[in-house]
Amino acid sequence: MLFHTWPFLLFILIVYPVYLATRGTRLQCPWLLTASYVFYGWWNPLYLLLILYSTAVDYAAVLIMAQWGRRRLGLVLSIVNNLGLLGFFKYGGFAAENLNALLGWMGIPLAIPAPDVLLPVGISFFVFQSMSYTIDFYRGNVEKEPSFIRYATFVSLFPQLVAGPIERARELLPQLRGKPEVTWEDVTDGLSLFVLGWFKKVALADYLAVYVDEVYGVPDLYGAPALLLATFAFAWQIYFDFSGYTDMARGVARMMGIRLMLNFNNPYLAAGLGEFWQRWHISLSTWFRDYVYIPLGGNRRGTARMYANMVITMVVSGLWHGAEWNFVIWGALHAGGRILTRELERTAFYRERVPRCVRQALVFLFVCFCWVFFRADTFHDAVVVLKRMATGGFADPAFPLLMLGLIVSIWAYQFVYESRLRAWVERGPVTVALAAAMLLYIVLFCGSSNEAFIYFQF
Amino acid sequence: MTDREPTEAPFSSNAIRLTGRQWLATGAIVLAVCLLVSPVWRLVEPFEPGADYRIPYALNSDYWHFARYCRDAAGDDRILVVGDSVIWGEYVRPQDTLSHHLNRLAGDERFANLGVNGTHPAALDGLVRYYARAAAGRRVLIHFNPLWMSSPRRDLQAQKESQFNHPELVPQFMPRIPCYKAPFAERMGIAVERHLPFRAWINHMNVAYFDDMDLANWAIENPYANPLSRITCETPAPTEDARHENTPWNERGIKATEFDWVAPVDSLQWRLFCDTLATLVARGCHVFVLVGPFNEHMLTPEGREAYEAIKSDIAARLSENTSLYEVLPPLPSELYGDASHPLPDGYAQMASHLYAQDSFSRFAAGES
Repeated sequence: MLFHTWPFLLFILIVYPVYLATRGTRLQCPWLLTASYVFYGWWNPLYLLLILYSTAVDYAAVLIMAQWGRRRLGLVLSIVNNLGLLGFFKYGGFAAENLNALLGWMGIPLAIPAPDVLLPVGISFFVFQSMSYTIDFYRGNVEKEPSFIRYATFVSLFPQLVAGPIERARELLPQLRGKPEVTWEDVTDGLSLFVLGWFKKVALADYLAVYVDEVYGVPDLYGAPALLLATFAFAWQIYFDFSGYTDMARGVARMMGIRLMLNFNNPYLAAGLGEFWQRWHISLSTWFRDYVYIPLGGNRRGTARMYANMVITMVVSGLWHGAEWNFVIWGALHAGGRILTRELERTAFYRERVPRCVRQALVFLFVCFCWVFFRADTFHDAVVVLKRMATGGFADPAFPLLMLGLIVSIWAYQFVYESRLRAWVERGPVTVALAAAMLLYIVLFCGSSNEAFIYFQF
Repeated sequence: MTDREPTEAPFSSNAIRLTGRQWLATGAIVLAVCLLVSPVWRLVEPFEPGADYRIPYALNSDYWHFARYCRDAAGDDRILVVGDSVIWGEYVRPQDTLSHHLNRLAGDERFANLGVNGTHPAALDGLVRYYARAAAGRRVLIHFNPLWMSSPRRDLQAQKESQFNHPELVPQFMPRIPCYKAPFAERMGIAVERHLPFRAWINHMNVAYFDDMDLANWAIENPYANPLSRITCETPAPTEDARHENTPWNERGIKATEFDWVAPVDSLQWRLFCDTLATLVARGCHVFVLVGPFNEHMLTPEGREAYEAIKSDIAARLSENTSLYEVLPPLPSELYGDASHPLPDGYAQMASHLYAQDSFSRFAAGES
C-alpha cells in the first residue's frame, strides 16, 4: 500500500480513529500490529510469514541473552538469521551469478542454481531495525521488551516499515509503551509533513522520472547535454522520492503522536561528503556508523585504519542498496570521495579560501557522478553514460523548462531556508501560500499516481 | 541497562509547518479553487453548439465537455439522443446523422446528438450516471446496439484481460467485469474522482488543449513550449467529414460472420443498459429506447436465427418494463458500413421509420 493512493486514505480513515480510541489501552499495540500487517500484507500476504519469522527469531535471541545468559549465542543467532534472510532473498542471485562466472572462468563445468525468489518489499529496512534491537541489547543499551506484541509492533510499525526511517529500539519502543500524546499541533504538524512528502513524490519525483527513465533507458541515443541533465534530474528524483516517503511516514506517525527521526536534511547543500552523509538517509548512515564503522575501530586506530574502515562501511552500504556491482562501485566511490574531501578539509586553503558555495557545488557534482552508477541498469550502461557525457557531442537535450523551473525553485527555497531569510519563509501567509500552491499543483496537475517508491526495491 | 526517553526529533528540514488555522485557510483556498474552476471555465470558454453539433472525435474522452453539452441541450428542452458511434455517426457527416434527420422530420432542432464513440452499454451507464445529471426530467432517446452482445469478449465477459473503450466509465467494483483487471488502487481512484467535478475539468483541459496528456507529460513532449499559449479557450471544432468512406460493408471486403451471441439473461452489457434505463427513470426522464438496426445481412443463416431470438428477448424485456421502444427492422444491405453502422441514407430511413411509429411521434411531440 502506497501513502499517496486512495486505498491508503481508506486504510488510515479506518485505522486512525480506532488507534485514537485504543491509545493507552491494552489494545493499542495489537491494533497497531494488525494495521501494520494489513499494510504490509497488501503487497503480498506471504510476506507476513517472513516478517513474523524475523521478528520471532530476534525476540527469541534476546530471550536467550536475557534468560539463559548466553549473550554471544543470542547475538550470533540474530545476526546469522538476519543476514541469512538478506543473503537468501537479496544476494542469492548475485552470489550465484558471480560464482558461476568465476567457475566458468576457471573452466569448472558447474552451475550453481540461483534462488528464484521475489525480493520482499522493505526487507532491508525491517531486518536492520530488528537487528539493531538485539545488538543494542547485547551492548546493554536497551532493556528487554517483555511484550512480544509490542516488539512486533516496533519492527513492523506501518508508517516506517517499508522504507524507513530505520528506528532504534531505544527511541521507538518507549513511545509504544505508554499512551502517546496526540495534540492538535501533532495533527497539523503531521499533515504539514505529509503534504510536503506527497508533493515531493507525485509532483516532483514521478515527473522527473519520466525524463530520467527515457534517457537512461537507452543512453546510447542521447548526447552529452541530455545525459548530464538526466543525471542531475535523477539526483533530485531520488531525493524527492525518498525524502518524500520519509516525510509522509513521519507525518503519519506524528499524527499518531509518534516521533520518527529526521532522515534527510537538505543534503544537496552539504559542503563536504562527510556532511552529505550526515544529511542523506541519516537513519541508515547512523546505523552503519554505530553497527559497522565503530565496531571496526572507527577513527580510533590511526588514519590508515580509519580510511580502511570508511571504505568497508561504504562498500557494505552500497551492497545494502542492491545486489549489483554498480552499487558496490557507488559505495566505493563515495568512500574515495569522503577520504579525499576529508584530506582537503584538513588544509587551511580549502577550509578558508574556497567559498562554501564552491564546495557545495563540488560535492553536488561528485554525488551526481556517483549517481550514474546507482541509476544505470548495468555497469556497461554506466560506462556508456559517462563516456557519452565526455564525447557524445551536443544535441538538443529537450529538457522541459517546467521541470527545470521546479528544480530551481526547490533548490532556491532550500538555500533561502538555510540563510538569513529563513524567518521570512516561515511567516504564516508564506507557508499558507506554499501549502495551497503545493496542494493545487497536486490536485490540478498530478492526478492519481500509483508509482512505487525507488527505495522499495532495496 | 538504560532505556532512555526518546529524544525530540527535529521537525523537518523546511518551513512548511502550518498551524490549525493556517490549514483551515489553506483548505478553504484549495476547496474554493476546486469548486469554482469548472463553473468559471464555462464562462471563459465559449460554447455554441449548432443544430447538428456532435462532440468532436478528439473530445471523445472529455466527459466534462459531454456534461456541458448535455446541460446546454437539456436547458433548451431538446431531446437528448444518447448512445455509441451509431448515434454519433461513424460513417457520416454531422448533417447526415440520425438526430439531423429526426430534426428534419420534426421541422425544428429538438434532437441533440449526444452520441459518444465507443460507449458500449457498460460505459454508457457511467456516462449517464455521472455526467448526464442535467438530463433529469428531460426526454431521452437512448440507443442500444446489439453488437455489444455479439460475443463474450464484446460483452466484457472474457476471463482474460482485454482492452475496451472508456474504462473510466464502467463500474469499477460491482458488478464485476471479468476482463477488467485494473489494480485496486486505480479502480478506487476512478470511483472517487468521477464524483469530483474539477477532475473532469482537468481532463477537459488535457484533452482539449494538451493533446490528451497531463501538463507534466505534455511538457516532456514540448519541452520549450509555453503551456499558457496552448489555452486558446477554443475547443476543437466538430469534425465536418465522415470518419470513413461512404462505402457499403460488402464492398469493403467484409464477409458474413458467425457471432457467438450472449443472451440478454446472461449479458453484462444488457444488464448495465437496464441499469442505465433505471437511472434515467429514477431521474424523471421520459425515455424512448431504440434497438438496432444490426446488419443482419452479415449473419450466416444460423446466426440470423440466433439473433432473431436475441431481438425477441430484448423486445419482450423492454415491453415488460413498459418502456417506450422500437426494435428497428434491418436496413437494406447497401446502407450499412459495417456490422452496425448505417450509411447516410440508412439514417434517413431510420428516422422515417421512427416517425412512422405512433409511440415515437407522441414521444417526440412531448405527449406522454
